[in-house]
Amino acid sequence: MIRHLLKGSIGPEDNDSRFLLDVHRRDLPGEDTMVRYEDSEEVDLVVVGAGAGGSVLAQRLARAGWTVVMLEAGPFWHPDEDWVSDEAGSHKLYWTQKRIIGGSDPIEMGKNNSGRGVGGSMVHYAGYCPRFHPSDFEIRTRDGVGADWPIGYDELLPHYERVERELPVAGQDWPWDRPHRYPFSPHPVSAAASVVWRGAHRLGIRMRVGPVGIVNGTFGNRPHCLYRGYCLQGCKVNAKASPYVTHLPDALAHRVEIRAGCMAARVELDEAGRARGVTYFREGSPVERMQRAKVVAVAGYSIETPRLLLNSASARFPRGLCNNEDQVGRYVMVQGASQTAGRFPEELRMYKAPPPEVSSEDFYETDPSRGFARGFSIQTVSPLPIGWAEHVLADGHWGRALREYMRDYNHWTVAGVLNELLPLPENRVTLAEETDPYGLPVARFDYSLCDNDRANIDFSTKVITEILQAAGAQDVLTIHRYAHLIGGARMGTSPDNSVVDANQRTWAVPNLYISDGSVCPTQGSANPALTIMALASRLGAHLARTGV
Amino acid sequence: MAFDERQVVDLTQPHHLPNLRPDRQPPHPSWLPRQRRGTTPQMIGRYPDYDVFDARPTWDPATARVVDERMGMAGRRLTFFREEEQLTLRAFCDVCVAQDAEPRVPVAEMVDEKLAAGRLDGYQYADMPDDRDTWHLVLAGLDEVAAGRYGAESFAAADTATQEAIVGLLAKGELSGGSWDRLNVSRAWSVCMRMILAAFYSHPWAWNEIGFGGPAYPRGFMRLGPLSTREPFERPGATSEDPVRVAPELGE
Repeated sequence: MIRHLLKGSIGPEDNDSRFLLDVHRRDLPGEDTMVRYEDSEEVDLVVVGAGAGGSVLAQRLARAGWTVVMLEAGPFWHPDEDWVSDEAGSHKLYWTQKRIIGGSDPIEMGKNNSGRGVGGSMVHYAGYCPRFHPSDFEIRTRDGVGADWPIGYDELLPHYERVERELPVAGQDWPWDRPHRYPFSPHPVSAAASVVWRGAHRLGIRMRVGPVGIVNGTFGNRPHCLYRGYCLQGCKVNAKASPYVTHLPDALAHRVEIRAGCMAARVELDEAGRARGVTYFREGSPVERMQRAKVVAVAGYSIETPRLLLNSASARFPRGLCNNEDQVGRYVMVQGASQTAGRFPEELRMYKAPPPEVSSEDFYETDPSRGFARGFSIQTVSPLPIGWAEHVLADGHWGRALREYMRDYNHWTVAGVLNELLPLPENRVTLAEETDPYGLPVARFDYSLCDNDRANIDFSTKVITEILQAAGAQDVLTIHRYAHLIGGARMGTSPDNSVVDANQRTWAVPNLYISDGSVCPTQGSANPALTIMALASRLGAHLARTGV
Repeated sequence: MAFDERQVVDLTQPHHLPNLRPDRQPPHPSWLPRQRRGTTPQMIGRYPDYDVFDARPTWDPATARVVDERMGMAGRRLTFFREEEQLTLRAFCDVCVAQDAEPRVPVAEMVDEKLAAGRLDGYQYADMPDDRDTWHLVLAGLDEVAAGRYGAESFAAADTATQEAIVGLLAKGELSGGSWDRLNVSRAWSVCMRMILAAFYSHPWAWNEIGFGGPAYPRGFMRLGPLSTREPFERPGATSEDPVRVAPELGE
């Protein structure tokens, strides 16, 4: 009761980011006055990657008094000038450096799942922030598939709650997972999303508004959402949460240096086998530099983290750093993200309001009657015109037929799924023969579905199609696609089944940690951002306790 | 389900949608109203009285700059594609998004600019060459098929029906021989279409055609539904009324 009355007024502890932001400018405050460390100075921590995992870790440890340098390959954004309210103009937000994709079901990279620049891919994520379910941490025990985590839901719970207050997450009371509330009230539901809700209701499928990391109301100096629908193009409003607004302002205020335009090349070891720093290139310069540090944390996400480790081979680790047991780069997962669009008599204009609106986790857990293990979630999405064109093309239309469907844009709404696809050892990142402009081998990512994955995708696509039909859809179009990345340097119980231990410390190097989504052994059917942040928060608390 | 363009067109009904028609093809676009305000590709569209540029004063400067640059792409000299490829490129882009008359969104220019600047999408299939090489091979392959199978001088010289037949085969991954053997044909189709669609539907003329609200910062949107989904500056979809009678009422 009290918590309901206080909705929107409970702020996070030990994080002043929301007050440090400027009401009238979007730039990350503190860039000009940011502390600068010398390469030769041994800082307490160097973090590779200024995204969800790296930023939360840096903020936590800066608060604990550590000196921290973050190396970020992409630019230091100035959103007022750099980000645009335009789909094609947002190309630079994505990691578009080349990756080779293979396997029987190659995964398209780039705008779909990879970010570049300060803030990482949360700059262009939709904004859905669900938690993993308790079952996600023990799918081997419960369902006989995948792997168990070495930690459980309860160990992550305080950090879920803390990060939800920091983003902050807005949504209805959550009946799934372990039932819980969100710190901010749900957003209004758009016409397009309410149609999906109506269909689900008729089939007895529960839907709820949210959970989204989008301010509903004001939050410190962060203004209310404008409902302009460009969440995936970078929020120029500061309403949508990303580390750029939720953690980095506070980090800069606590002596963190963000060194943008710096591509990490190798983690360096000393003779005793401890990490002593990170070698990197500054953009436009072929000169190798090395930042010394007492502790190294890699937070480059599921493709670049394994790539950096594999590129850090040495006499001690001839197959790549931490890879003597051949675990680095394995068990990379994506989620099935098929979407079905439905046509309705009235104009819905789905480009208004945030694309993430309402969702359902009614199908999240295993149901033996469905004939496959694990499940999926359902979420509304609303593609802008280019995304809509890709959807129409995927249903087999081009030329005049495509133009006809495109002209009908305003009559459509889209329901999507997130399937939990299983972790498989051969779905992995390796090094390709091709090199980038610095001469570093690029990543190759092979991906193939298993039968359980295909059964899950087929079943879930039928469910969203039925929802749209129950709502009265006059025509439906389906696209099969994938979203998100997770795994690649997973945590486990021993070096022969994982790369890091339960505290995200690499088995092979005592002062090397991995602080991103690549440590997850499973992925559930939840969007990964919140869990990546919660894991980094937990790691931060652990390191703050144990000290440098 | 028969479609008679002389009948009253009721947009609450989906009879114009390809999946619901026996041949999976839309009716000839002559049923659509001519654009009365602003520009659309081929001057057809569903929102004859809507021009996204009416809202331009509400756009932020960074976005306005990006959209203006795009408007300046028409007439840009092609630098990535060789002289002898350019006619094929233009014909191919035209067929893929059915641009059969002026005014055209300058898709070829936009694709060329992107490839010349190396702004690729961040991945390359293991069984495919670099996207830039894929484009060269696809254009060469189109000419080979047009000449070898249809007896045309080139793809660009073939009639529209032939061009559409060839692109139909490409879309189904059913081309082989010559340049096609150096590609995974289905993936080549997806590489090209990704770039063509991103060009076409990033252009404000296409936004006018489909009634998309366009850039929305710092203004935002207020009418999310359910009572109304239309802002004051937006216009309803085309109706069955005679445009000649309706235009004066809208103050044209």
